Amino acid sequence: MHVLELEHVTKLYGDFRAVDEVSFSVHEGSITGFLGPNGAGKTTTLRMILGILKPTSGKIAVFGAPSALEVRSRVGYLPEEKGLYKKMKCWAIVAYFATLKGVDRKTAKRRAYELLERYGLKDFADKRTEALSKGMGQKVQVLASIAHDPELVIFDEPFSGLDPVNQQVLEEVLLDLKKKGRTVLFSTHVMQHAERLCERILLIAKGKKLFDGTVAEALRTIPKKLVIECQDDVTPLRGMAGVLELTPVAAAKAGTYAVRLREDADPQEILASCFERGIRLRRFDHSDPTLHEVFVNMVGPEAREASFR
Amino acid sequence: MKYAILVALREFAENAKTKGFWLGILMVPGLIYASITASSFLEKTKPVRNFVLVDQSGELEETVQQALDRLHQRNVMGELASYLKKHAKLPEGELELDLEKMPAFDAKAMAEKWASDNPDTLDQFLKAGGLEIALAQLAGVLKEGAPEFEEPKRPFRAVSLPEGVSADLAPAELAEALKPWLRGDRTIEVEGEQADLFAAVIVPADILERTVRPGGLPVLPGNEKLGIQYWSSNLADDDLKDEIERSINDEVRKREYEVKGVDPTAVTAVQRTYLPFSALNPKKEAGSEAVSMADQIRQWAPVGFVYLLWIAIFTIAQMLLNNTIEEKSNRIIEVLLSSVTPGELMMGKLMGIAGVGLTMIGCWILFGFGILKWNAGPEAKIVNEVLGVLQHSGMIWSFLIYFVLGYLFYAGAFLAIGSLCNTLKEAQNMMTPVMLVMMVPLMTMMFIPKDPNGTLATVLSWIPCYTPFIMMNRAAADPPLFERVGTLALLIASTIGMLWLSGKIFRLAILRTGQPPKFMELVRWLRSA
Repeated sequence: MHVLELEHVTKLYGDFRAVDEVSFSVHEGSITGFLGPNGAGKTTTLRMILGILKPTSGKIAVFGAPSALEVRSRVGYLPEEKGLYKKMKCWAIVAYFATLKGVDRKTAKRRAYELLERYGLKDFADKRTEALSKGMGQKVQVLASIAHDPELVIFDEPFSGLDPVNQQVLEEVLLDLKKKGRTVLFSTHVMQHAERLCERILLIAKGKKLFDGTVAEALRTIPKKLVIECQDDVTPLRGMAGVLELTPVAAAKAGTYAVRLREDADPQEILASCFERGIRLRRFDHSDPTLHEVFVNMVGPEAREASFR
Repeated sequence: MKYAILVALREFAENAKTKGFWLGILMVPGLIYASITASSFLEKTKPVRNFVLVDQSGELEETVQQALDRLHQRNVMGELASYLKKHAKLPEGELELDLEKMPAFDAKAMAEKWASDNPDTLDQFLKAGGLEIALAQLAGVLKEGAPEFEEPKRPFRAVSLPEGVSADLAPAELAEALKPWLRGDRTIEVEGEQADLFAAVIVPADILERTVRPGGLPVLPGNEKLGIQYWSSNLADDDLKDEIERSINDEVRKREYEVKGVDPTAVTAVQRTYLPFSALNPKKEAGSEAVSMADQIRQWAPVGFVYLLWIAIFTIAQMLLNNTIEEKSNRIIEVLLSSVTPGELMMGKLMGIAGVGLTMIGCWILFGFGILKWNAGPEAKIVNEVLGVLQHSGMIWSFLIYFVLGYLFYAGAFLAIGSLCNTLKEAQNMMTPVMLVMMVPLMTMMFIPKDPNGTLATVLSWIPCYTPFIMMNRAAADPPLFERVGTLALLIASTIGMLWLSGKIFRLAILRTGQPPKFMELVRWLRSA
């Protein structure tokens, strides 16, 4: 079942197409990473999903409803720019946001304390939020966004500004949600998080959707690659089955080559045939492509030019 | 609606939980109370002021002594009167004030009457034997456990010249000789204690020859030392100077009457003669047209209400502005908007802050009446009467209606400004014109009651942003029904319009960052939205 569905959603700011004909859907119980360079339209898309902004055209359905506000108790949201009421106590702010989502005050208070204790903020529960560091405050806000136990959680850049330990805690939060069968959509530009946590990724740039699929599918979009280094003649390799292209790497030492492989090629066979032909390798690097490479490959040139908004 | 209430509750709690809020609430009545009591407290704790009087003419010393004694007796009588009010057993119903029947007092006339040194009552008081006899007579009517009456201190004490200064010196030399004491370099000994010399009064021997009569030359600058000299380094406290000057002049006039063959007692009698004069109100029923205390309260209470209204609206609209900017600059607004609609958020804020404002005003009013009640005395009765009058005249209801509408009107404006700005500084720039507009009712507040149905009042009443203040201001004069209904309808319509407009701006601007838009830009937004 689709928890969230977007059809040809477009948002214009004057003549500027912030989001351009984006369609995708999110399955129940999945963690989806929403990737894209700065200014790609991620935040605008998320705001439209939440009903904070109205799309210029297109259709959005959250649990079948046209506006997330109608199903607010089932949706949790952490915005990109984080802030808290300075004078409120941590538990109170978590509880307040839960009550705004329809939880009664008593339950909200109990849940607030539970969550703060569980994710290492027990000592701060009765402190005012102004006493917190930025990272701590962000954790409080994450908890505030899930205190009403939403079925769909939308996080905008949840990892930015957190130290490695707290990034770990946040990953725990996400995995706990997944364990409970909740659906998570989060945007990030830290590819490692996306790679570790997501089943599906969604990549947009300049307002347009570039990729929508599983992580494995994403990795398959860029060909396998080898890097070899040797002083011998490498011409025989060119004719080999599975080798698509062999080019000297200009930036590296002389004798370094990049080898593009066909998708089904086995790097081990290449290594074996090098031995057979007496090519003495000083280096043989074979690593699977990473999401980082996928990202750079897909949006690299555009990301640099993208207008920062 | 449920969510708007949740927002309102939080807004209320956030403000009501701060110490500053309660401190602010306590400060205002505290300050008022302090300013009321401070003057009498200061008066009571003022040290006795010592002065020397050297009367070389030998004609005026007694007059001055008598005048100062009379001044003291007047204080005694006044104190005794308030002592009685507090501690005397009074027959039931004796103090029931009926403000409707009580004639309005004219403060100016009253002051003049008191200032003339011949009030009959004081004469009678002194004739009857003064304090001692009065206390003896009163012993029976005092309540059980009433404290002893404390005779007030004499404010001034005549002392003799310091040792080594002769009274026979020429006035100029005498003044010179006294200067070290007057400047505070030396102290005099009074009743075994060292004390400062507050003032010295030197009356030259030939003073009566210098009497200035109509047509005569006034004292020219440079010749001041030819008359009576009052020397004191304290320039602010001129009670003593005034008292002496007045008593001496009275004496001189009395002698002048005698010279001209007029009997001074006849003059006194003439001075106490008057014709009955009363202010009447044609709008009241026959038989009770006299302008009463209640009429006066009705006339002037609106001014108090206008002031209260202004402070309340201004303070809480300011709170609303700060609060909106906090949410905007903290970006909390986005989380809020994912949970509530902008309309709910706006309504919640309006209600929450209005609650804060009402709490504040309510506390002030309670404190105000509390202080008056606690201070006891007949004033408490007046407070009740004032409340009664206000209730009767429906002024409370007008106040509430105008408060709600005025608040919503200005809150809408401030909310829109708050949503357009990211920092308080930006907001302050945009606030300036609103502030200027808001100053007008304060400036006209005192004029309107004098001509409550005049052109200025009528014109201002029809400008919606002034309607609440001006109509409240005019309430006592019963403006024509057409104007009352018309301006109210216009105010309601424009308040709705203002809220609609600010709601639109709020929705458009609340997520915006960066510079606040220029006016034309704003118009364009509103058109395109």
